[in-house]
Amino acid sequence: MKFTKNIVFINIAIVNLVACVAPKNEASTNFKVALLTPGPISDQSWNGGAYAGLMRIKDSLGAEVSHIQTKTPAEFEQNFRQYGANGYTLVFGHGFEFQDAASRVAPEFPKTIYITTGGTATGVNQAAMGFSFGQPSFLAGFVAGSVTKSGIVGCIGGTELPPVKASFAAFTAGVHTANPKATILVSYIGNWDDASAGKEQALAQIGQGADVIFQNADAAGLGVFQAAKQTHDVFIIGSNADQNNIAPSVTLGSVLIDLPRAFMLVAREVKSGTFKGRMIQLDTKTDVVRWVPNPSLPSAIPVNVTQRVDSIRATMLAEQFVMPPLS
Amino acid sequence: MSNNAIGLFLEATVRTATPLAYAALGELVVERSGVLNIGLEGIIIAGAFGALVGAGAGGATAGFVAAVCAGMIIASIFAFFVVTLKSDQIISGTAISMFGLGVTGVLYKILYGTTGAALHTPTVGPLVIPFLGDLPWVGGALFAQPVVTYALYPLVVAVWCFLNRSAAGLALRAVGERPEAARAAGISPSRVQWISILFGGAMGGLCGGTLVIAQAGTFAEGISAGRGVIAIAIVVLGRWTAVGVAGAALLFGAASALQYLAQAKGWPLPYQFSLALPYVLTLVALAGLRGRVAAPAALARSDAESI
Repeated sequence: MKFTKNIVFINIAIVNLVACVAPKNEASTNFKVALLTPGPISDQSWNGGAYAGLMRIKDSLGAEVSHIQTKTPAEFEQNFRQYGANGYTLVFGHGFEFQDAASRVAPEFPKTIYITTGGTATGVNQAAMGFSFGQPSFLAGFVAGSVTKSGIVGCIGGTELPPVKASFAAFTAGVHTANPKATILVSYIGNWDDASAGKEQALAQIGQGADVIFQNADAAGLGVFQAAKQTHDVFIIGSNADQNNIAPSVTLGSVLIDLPRAFMLVAREVKSGTFKGRMIQLDTKTDVVRWVPNPSLPSAIPVNVTQRVDSIRATMLAEQFVMPPLS
Repeated sequence: MSNNAIGLFLEATVRTATPLAYAALGELVVERSGVLNIGLEGIIIAGAFGALVGAGAGGATAGFVAAVCAGMIIASIFAFFVVTLKSDQIISGTAISMFGLGVTGVLYKILYGTTGAALHTPTVGPLVIPFLGDLPWVGGALFAQPVVTYALYPLVVAVWCFLNRSAAGLALRAVGERPEAARAAGISPSRVQWISILFGGAMGGLCGGTLVIAQAGTFAEGISAGRGVIAIAIVVLGRWTAVGVAGAALLFGAASALQYLAQAKGWPLPYQFSLALPYVLTLVALAGLRGRVAAPAALARSDAESI
């Protein structure tokens, strides 16, 4: 009982402390936005894009922002709770892996809105963003299938997360639409940090004859670009962020999630008070996901291929695109 | 498999083994002096980060020098705690690992911002040795590698000679086996352990430097990816000898290369199985070790010197 009393006392102390601090914060800004990323924001990919989104919210909407790089799932809940207790308006958990923690914490802090990028869990003050990443992945696959000379195309992922696997399946369907006989190689590095192992996976695929590789491995994926830079006639397709500048001489293009755009869509709703907890599906039509060819390598993709890609994209915009059955 | 496929497999084997061999040779010397440096992971990541900064400022050679220095700086913190202050080696080592991973992440963010270093770091490519590099199968694996790999060949021999054929090596082994006897013979265990740990730091730093400058061409937070732990296992697998360590590093490299190949060839295995292969093989090899236990008698005894 004494223990409980102590906790109550500590709670009151914390509430008092927050109450003392709160008016000060309101004077400077009342729109506070936080981001939790599962990896380093220097990956020029999934995490870097999210950080760019947070910065856009800061610059365009004048929000006070905060970012934490989480290490273990135990921290997800703790960090969500911390932001809720500190009066944050909007908290992003960047990845489907954050959804369970968001579902547990959201009911405790009704004034804070929790968004997970990926996942399906929703609530009054909780939403999940879904990215129709399959559509631009299909387009990238179509380009890869058209450009490959060996007829062997590779996919390299960090770990076999459901969105990565789905993206590779759509990519494969795209390759086979352009080139039904093409062979697809799929390798996983086992983590998202080991750029050296990423390079080795790429060299192994290149050794098997792959001449176009679609990578989705964040920081470890930098090694995939490095492998292509040291080999002749191998092209890479990037993922998540616009990776066309990482190794411009070997990059065909990027399958992009415009995370800043996606973050702004939600942040505007929250700021104007129109937000409703729901599943937010973002597709080609919202322009949050798209295939971006590398502008510094225009000759790598033949004109007729670009025209086919544009016509497939038009069907996606008209919501008439039908994905072929995925293997 | 065609000749070419075997050649590529062996090349990947040696590439993967090279950084591990550096870290494990350093750890071997440290352990023979009676210190178990669990903090190797932190030393490797510091070496990798040092290499990035050094290479960016002054080219690949400066990168390797900076990698060695960074490794030794972290190692000296470890040595101060476990040798000078006689702290528990396991706890200190774990702290050093976490410190290395944390501090490099923070410094990377401060120095390279949100975009990171990308692929702008100078790298060293393979240096093909005439004639030998054209040998079938092993030519590419042994004689068309970056210069850091060549430096390993004499280093393995040198560490073996040092440990088994030199008076200083004998003194070092004495400290690792019977520190009280070494002390009675006029050897200062603290001094020997300090020097061993600094050497281990330099080698761990080179492991990180190899990852950045000779392989990935970039840095990523956590790029060491568990190599510190693997290197410690390699020392056990190599039964605390230089030649054994080199062989164990090659075995681990071969298992990794097989894993890359299995995935790229689309062998019908779950990818998790492929990824686990190097670790499973290491466990099997460890279980198969027979004969006398070769661990230094005073390994990880923080009270060793005071006895």
